[in-house]
Amino acid sequence: MLWLAGIHKRFGGAIALDGADLLVASGTVHGVLGENGAGKTTLMKVLYGLVRPDSGSMKLGGAELTPQSPRDATRLGIGMVHQHFTLVPTLSVRANCVLAAGTGLGRIDEAAWDQRIAALGERLHWHLNPEAIVGGLAVGQRQRVEIAKALLAAGIDADGSLAGRVLILDEPTAVLTPPEVEELLPALRRLAEAGTTILLVSHKLPEVLRVCDALTVFRRGRTVHAGPAADLDAERLALLMVGDEPRATITAGTARPDDDAPLRLDVAALSVPGSLHDLSFSVRAGEAVGIAGVDGNGQRELVRAILGLQPDASGRIDTPGLPAAQRLRGSGRIGVIPDDRQREALVLELPLSDNLALGDHRDPPLARHGWLFASAWRRHALALVERFGVRTPGVAVPAAALSGGNQQRAVAARALHRDPGLVVAVNPTRGLDIAASADVMARLAAARDRGGGVLLVHHDLDELLAVADRVLVLYGGRLIDSGWPACGRAAIGRLMLGLPPHA
Amino acid sequence: MPDPRQLLSAWPALAAALAAVALLLLGLWVAGGAPGEAAAAAWQGAFGSWRRLAITATEAVPLALCGLGAALAFRSGTLNIGLEGQCLAGMVAAIAVLVPLPPGPWACLAGLAAGALAGAAWCGVAVALERGRGVPLVLSTILLNTIAALLLGALVQGPLQAAGSAAPETAIVPEASRLAILATPLHLGALIAVLIAVASWLVQTRTVLGFELTVAGLNPETARFAGIPVAQRMLTAALGSGALAGLAGAIQVAGVTWFVSDGARSWGYAGIAVALLARLHPLGVLGAALFFAALEVGARTLERRMAVPHDVGVMVQGVAVAAVLLAGALSARRRR
Repeated sequence: MLWLAGIHKRFGGAIALDGADLLVASGTVHGVLGENGAGKTTLMKVLYGLVRPDSGSMKLGGAELTPQSPRDATRLGIGMVHQHFTLVPTLSVRANCVLAAGTGLGRIDEAAWDQRIAALGERLHWHLNPEAIVGGLAVGQRQRVEIAKALLAAGIDADGSLAGRVLILDEPTAVLTPPEVEELLPALRRLAEAGTTILLVSHKLPEVLRVCDALTVFRRGRTVHAGPAADLDAERLALLMVGDEPRATITAGTARPDDDAPLRLDVAALSVPGSLHDLSFSVRAGEAVGIAGVDGNGQRELVRAILGLQPDASGRIDTPGLPAAQRLRGSGRIGVIPDDRQREALVLELPLSDNLALGDHRDPPLARHGWLFASAWRRHALALVERFGVRTPGVAVPAAALSGGNQQRAVAARALHRDPGLVVAVNPTRGLDIAASADVMARLAAARDRGGGVLLVHHDLDELLAVADRVLVLYGGRLIDSGWPACGRAAIGRLMLGLPPHA
Repeated sequence: MPDPRQLLSAWPALAAALAAVALLLLGLWVAGGAPGEAAAAAWQGAFGSWRRLAITATEAVPLALCGLGAALAFRSGTLNIGLEGQCLAGMVAAIAVLVPLPPGPWACLAGLAAGALAGAAWCGVAVALERGRGVPLVLSTILLNTIAALLLGALVQGPLQAAGSAAPETAIVPEASRLAILATPLHLGALIAVLIAVASWLVQTRTVLGFELTVAGLNPETARFAGIPVAQRMLTAALGSGALAGLAGAIQVAGVTWFVSDGARSWGYAGIAVALLARLHPLGVLGAALFFAALEVGARTLERRMAVPHDVGVMVQGVAVAAVLLAGALSARRRR
């Protein structure tokens, strides 16, 4: 029995876990479900010792569980397979397993390891060649090595029994092709039969319903449902995940823009090999268009294509009145709030004033004929800090000195201060607390109300629906018009998970 | 905009330089030498008279220019470590232009321009390899160093060899085409280096170009989202640094050696160390170059007077650069 009760975790001001509970019977496959940001991954990291909870208790097989580190968790029989591979491609399967087990100094008994790997392979009906170099294996085989590595690190009994072990799998099928998924799922069942408790984090409802014995659904850091998988179907699950009542307080645009309002963005037949397939949509002045969807369905490529940063994009992207080369520069440019503020929006080492100037840095009054005006930079920064409520000890401090929420306020200030004709915002509240989130979303709504076109690509459906006038759903690189607000939020939730909008 | 850290950055560099010297003298004392006497001798050698000072400053010129090139490249995230090869390319191009042209200041100017162009072109080869074939710049630039050295050797024994000479040497630059001497042996190239350092500092801190180079170097993704053409800026930095290294070689030919012979130099390599000691600050590069040159000249005196191998100068240079890098790494870690 694995039991997690009342787990709380805050990151700065953001609440990741708000009293999450999880009860899992030994030797079962247990689905862990929820939207992005619902707290699934954080909870799994707590269990694996990667994140220390603020409060709450954990028990495994009746004993108190307080893993201080992944190494600690491994010793207690808990293994984790991460979303991205953590294998060394130039080493053999055996070497990767040995590395993960962390045997310390001393000779490696290769024969013993080969025996262990073979025993596990037999148990799972997998062929695992200890000599094979990981870099030469197909993705599906690497996934097996990843799982074998985690299990061997957690310890396997001499008779091949895995009783009492816990294996966490974070989106294990995200990288697999359908036939590879077909091979993985039965193996998970066999593992459970061998006594392992499996926690399966996934967005793919059909898979989850097929393989899991029981499910727990999380929303906003809390457990909203727990029960046997047999009692649920995809439709009900989708509803549980997205919730049925909007909670955010910003009101959507009351007046729908006229059909003759000028176009601000017109996309036709946009494709990016391997990620986007024939997308067409438009954004008009005074309109906020929401792109809903689970992260990783083509959001990144869509945004980069619109901004002209995706060289392999084909199709037509028109930003009327704004030549393609000027989408990111010049006075009329698109206001952008990128997905990852630290990697795509800020230069953490440089002063806040430099960061607030980025994008405007070549235009008057900040620069003229290629020369910068330091005093103008300072005035510009002070004005933006004041207007957008960025809390900072000054504008000369490096951007790294600001909290995440205030970094994001700064990014929003830079994107919105000129009332751009078109705003592209991607997950603008990621990692922010409630006050900062509401603030940023209200700024976006205000930009729309002042006549700007807003394209909001957001994984948080509640916040998206609070602002968007129209909602398109991105799933598997294709765009589906949900018909919002005529449709219910449940229909959007179903579309996000690749299901038909109505049962 | 001036980076606030830069105001502080002179201190670790100075401290590292002094610590390195102190460490060497301590070693000398432990080994039973006379550190006071040695220090005095080295100081005498490097700064003891106007003449000695001029010698030190002359040594510093190619180091400063290569250092400015390295600083320009590194600040914008371009790992050009082929300044040595680019410097050699500059020497070859300069001599090839200076010798045949009718003597005079215009020939001198043409020689310097040819050197800068050749340096940029030599670095351009590496950039083309990276853009076209995905060869990392770090690898191609350093390998091109060797190719440049071998090519220079072949040329001074072939097409560029002085007529009637048996030695692997070119003909001598006519007197009228040489750089003017300010105070023997210091030449006009020193002034050029100072002017370029000041210009480089102005570009870096006061212009859109300099700001964009810095942003592209620190975070290329953010730069792209801000509409900065990162690939173009990096090309500018790479070619600019190559041109500076090439100019260093050309100035050395037109101001000091007046001909080119086969054999090793290492201003390009030392320039990288100079830039690192100066923490990539253009004005700091001047100071660091002078420090390196003083160690070199002082160590030579030390060798003559006290039979201490002059490699001790290189040792101090190494310790100083290592200390500055260590300080930088430690403070970066503390910030995290």
